Amino acid sequence: MKRILIIMLLFFLVGNIMAQDTKQSEIDSLVDVALAKKGFKPSKTQFMIRGYGHTGLNNVTTNGDTESSYVGSAFAPIFLFKHSDKLLFEAELEFVLEANNLDVGLEYANVMYVANDYLTIRAGKFLLPFGTFMERLHPSWVNRLPTKPLGFGHDGIAPGSGIGLELRGSVNLGGPRLNYSVYSTNGPRLKDGSIEPDEAGRLLFSNFEDNNNSKAFGGRLGFLPFSDSSTEIGFSTYSTNGTGIKDTVYQDVGAFLYAFDFSFIKQIPAISGMVDIKSQYNNSKVDNATYIDEEDGLPYTFNNESNSFYAQLSYRPTMADNDFIRKLELVGRYSSFNAPVGAEWAGEAEQYAFGLNYWLSWRSLIKVAYQTTDTIGGHDGDGNTKGFFIHWAIGF
Amino acid sequence: MKTIYKTTIITLSLFLMTVLFVACSSTKDKYTDASDDDFKIEKSGAQLWGETCNRCHLAPSPTDYNDTDWDTIALHMRVRANISKDDIEKIREFLKSAN
Ligand code: HEC
Repeated sequence: MKRILIIMLLFFLVGNIMAQDTKQSEIDSLVDVALAKKGFKPSKTQFMIRGYGHTGLNNVTTNGDTESSYVGSAFAPIFLFKHSDKLLFEAELEFVLEANNLDVGLEYANVMYVANDYLTIRAGKFLLPFGTFMERLHPSWVNRLPTKPLGFGHDGIAPGSGIGLELRGSVNLGGPRLNYSVYSTNGPRLKDGSIEPDEAGRLLFSNFEDNNNSKAFGGRLGFLPFSDSSTEIGFSTYSTNGTGIKDTVYQDVGAFLYAFDFSFIKQIPAISGMVDIKSQYNNSKVDNATYIDEEDGLPYTFNNESNSFYAQLSYRPTMADNDFIRKLELVGRYSSFNAPVGAEWAGEAEQYAFGLNYWLSWRSLIKVAYQTTDTIGGHDGDGNTKGFFIHWAIGF
Repeated sequence: MKTIYKTTIITLSLFLMTVLFVACSSTKDKYTDASDDDFKIEKSGAQLWGETCNRCHLAPSPTDYNDTDWDTIALHMRVRANISKDDIEKIREFLKSAN
């Protein structure tokens, strides 16, 4: 009798354990199905929409005349399509409200393929690694000030983007790091004065279709000497054999541009915060050519060399005890621009900008800034422009 | 102009060749016979994240994105910020393990 009881008890126990097992595996598989339905299973291909936007208030006084306006409402969606672990397509559209118009731009659209550990191939329209500002620092949630330094963007001398092919890569040399990029794009266009005489000799970098067959060749070499990656120095070039329209005297007017960039970022306990320095020098030399003076119809020429420079210092008290203070950032920037003497657009400009930022998150900040620019010569003659800006930028 | 142009191309090709040469010559020999390398502590993904991802913008925290998103972002940043494969792989693993 005892035996029968023990055997029955055993059966009961074993049965129970087995039942529990099946229950557990049933639950597991149900969870798997549920997770798969919810999309938690990682996929190899992925599509992401990212981007950024900004808006703000500008109060600009030029030679005593003040203009104040809410500005921006810029919206720049970025599309990332990861095809595989090596193949990615990126595109950025830019919608900006300016001068009562909606400007739409295709900032970049390119496909990139990681060929091996040290080489990635990119083709399409991409931001040019001419220095670091345009490629790495211009998005409004990355740029610590609401404005670009002199020499960049509209009326600037540094190329921002191009259509072509690029090879790039990077290597960790066991502490120091080296990165390179070489590319060929449609060459820049020379403004020969036939349309805008007072712009004769300037380069235009929007080159959706090449105006002659000369391509631009360029590249950047970046070196991070210290193993903490705090410091980077870079050297870039951009050159072309011809910039003028095909079959005109300007066809073979070449150009050679170069840039130096410097970056330093480090948390320094002695001053309880993060110091960030960014700087870039651009130089542009276009071959001398003869243009026609719009007023007297006489030919003239000049040494077509321009340069621009900026240095920016910012400080975030990242080690402060107070939460509010930790989110603040102080920033100062100096920039200068020198256009060629003898050109219709000859001139010099010098600018100081100061700002106080409040970081709401790692991708959103409120910038309050004051900027003063002194100009000698140039389009609008000598003068001073003071600007007061409050901007709100957000990346998503 | 032509000379400047040629010089640029040549300089850049030389740079590229040097880079490829350095990159392709395996660092293994260095590790076997360089004694000071024996004492070098490999940086962790977390440390690399702290040093690399705040060079241009503030560094995002691992919890800002899910694993799939980090895969795409890591690839995007690898190319855009020209980060080496070794570095980005470690950072990606860290971000995915700590979110
Ligand atoms: C050399 C500069 C640079 C470095 C270093 C860098 N980023 Fe970025 N990052 C950018 C820029 C520029 C953008 C904006 C992309 C755009 O607007 O086209 C960006 C965008 C992003 C975004 C938004 C989504 C996206 O892919 O556009 C995330 C997330 C991000 N970075 C994470 C990282 C992480 C993680 C690291 C460290 C591995 C890193 N970044 C290092 C420059 C950099």
